[in-house]
Amino acid sequence: MVLSESWKNFREGLADGLLPLLGKEIRGRSRSWRFPLLLSIYLALLSGGILTFLWLNRQVSQFFLQTGLLLYGLFACGLVLLLAFIAAAVAATAISGERERRTYDLLLVTAASPAGIILGKWLSSVVYLLLLVVAALPLLAVVYLFGGVPLVTLGKALLLSLFAGLGYGAVGLAYSAVLKRSQAAIIFSLVTVFALIFGTLIIAGIVAASQRQPGPVPPPPPGKERAWYIYLSPLSALPDILPQNGVPVPIAGELINISRHLAAGAAGVYYEESPFGTPATLKPGWPAWARFTVYQSLLTLISLFTAALAVNPLPPWRKWQLLRGTKEPPPKKD
Amino acid sequence: MIRIKGLIKKFRHVTALRDLDMTVPAGTIYAFVGQNGAGKTTTLRISAALLPPDGGTVEVAGCDAVKRPRAVREIIGYMPDFFGVYDDLRVGEYLLFYAAAYGIRGPEAARRRDNLLELVGLGEKREDFVDTLSRGMQQRLCLARALVHDPPVLLLDEPASGLDPLARVEMRKILQELGRTGKTIVISSHILPELADFCNYVGMITGGRMVYEGPITQMIAAAQVQQIVLRVAGKKVPARKVIEAWPNAEVVKLTDEQIELRLAGGEAEAAALLKELVQAGAAVTHFARTEQTLEDAFVQIASEVK
Repeated sequence: MVLSESWKNFREGLADGLLPLLGKEIRGRSRSWRFPLLLSIYLALLSGGILTFLWLNRQVSQFFLQTGLLLYGLFACGLVLLLAFIAAAVAATAISGERERRTYDLLLVTAASPAGIILGKWLSSVVYLLLLVVAALPLLAVVYLFGGVPLVTLGKALLLSLFAGLGYGAVGLAYSAVLKRSQAAIIFSLVTVFALIFGTLIIAGIVAASQRQPGPVPPPPPGKERAWYIYLSPLSALPDILPQNGVPVPIAGELINISRHLAAGAAGVYYEESPFGTPATLKPGWPAWARFTVYQSLLTLISLFTAALAVNPLPPWRKWQLLRGTKEPPPKKD
Repeated sequence: MIRIKGLIKKFRHVTALRDLDMTVPAGTIYAFVGQNGAGKTTTLRISAALLPPDGGTVEVAGCDAVKRPRAVREIIGYMPDFFGVYDDLRVGEYLLFYAAAYGIRGPEAARRRDNLLELVGLGEKREDFVDTLSRGMQQRLCLARALVHDPPVLLLDEPASGLDPLARVEMRKILQELGRTGKTIVISSHILPELADFCNYVGMITGGRMVYEGPITQMIAAAQVQQIVLRVAGKKVPARKVIEAWPNAEVVKLTDEQIELRLAGGEAEAAALLKELVQAGAAVTHFARTEQTLEDAFVQIASEVK
């Protein structure tokens, strides 16, 4: 009886938050000047990067042979990074913005549950991301025209970008729910995303370098994790869907090469020879992009759960304390 | 309708509510008065299941605010003292959004939107953006929002704050209209006279404690204080001597024209004082009792508590 009522409350609370918020957010964003502005900047950055690359390589003799592959590498890397940071920054204002606008209490006092509110906010950012991905399709078509990249690989790049945006968007949402000010939430979100994308690989690179013995590098045992945390970075997944001849992106390209080496052991797919030597023979295992999507899904779940707890005026442990009549915890400021 | 027992709330080192008891009978318009920082907003937020208490219980129509917060939120309509609006929504969309957040969608939601906009006098503003409305209109829209799920209980935190006199009158009319529909309405305010006209129950909170609760008329009677304006022709000395010697009288204001005094006791006490003044030779030309206001009673009760 109690369980069925709880389930009914959960279901209704979820629907009462998710559907109205999704509709309102989409309507609001379509009316705001911010979305066209952000979309313009985003497309300008992507197309600007591609045009700059074409201009810089206009006199290279083997230009047309490698252009498609290199352009694709540039595009995939740029798309992943842009979506990751945009998603985090946009979601970081979702809840704190409600507090600052003083609409937070009005939202919480409705029949919408905290989970419904958070899911509504998150799904609206998903829609936002989808729009950004769709907006980038014409550029992807340009890349495809140069040839050399199968459609499946292009699809994987889009999927990877989307997962990066979803996970880091959820991180931004969690910060937005926990911190009261949008400014603080944006800063924390961007720093966290930066640390997850670049920091994990830099740390893994330092650790690997410090452990390296003189002589040939012995392959790690199959399936043994070398640095599991590198899969929190989309750059670790990019080698799976990028050409072997590198990515023409400063810093990120180098990190992708590092992750190409590190990912081998972690994924149970390792190089039999030195990773920087001749092309390696790989043993089968979970591909890096699949690992990244799994990790990103976990990050999303944890972040959304944290956010839902943070917006709940009466979190479960507090309710339990009150119903048990135990001593109250240190009171927090209103 | 609302029963609060032993409510305690602390914010860091500040105790906002100390063992607060409060009972709001069904169908009353309850004036919840107290100075700034007395604990009114905290009480209302806990009652709306927006803030967990540190002790005590809150029941709204039999639903415990801690055990069944969602049920409580469906029973109450809450209007905070400070609130914002979504500037990217039109007035009609704003109400439809909140209706959907209460699970009301489709034609029913549209019907309620139209009725509520008519009730609060914003029918013609349906297609306007919310942020183009004046402060008074936004207050009325927020009231309509609180009513969108037709709750039997309304918790209104300073609903007239920041409004100009005309807007206050309009808000008062709407609240009176709502009172006639049988809703239980709790209105918090520190501006007491504006509540005296249409509230029939009062709770006075000071320092997080309820110091008085009951029908307004009873409270004024319980205060047992009357203000008397006295004018005398010629010298005022005999009259002043009588008043100063009178055990239940206290001079409040003394001017060339008149003496204003506070007198404990009822009509009999006033009649006795008048008789004494005349017998003492004071040429009384004016002796009038003024109506005790809610504010006067509150000041007296608050001073007695101190």
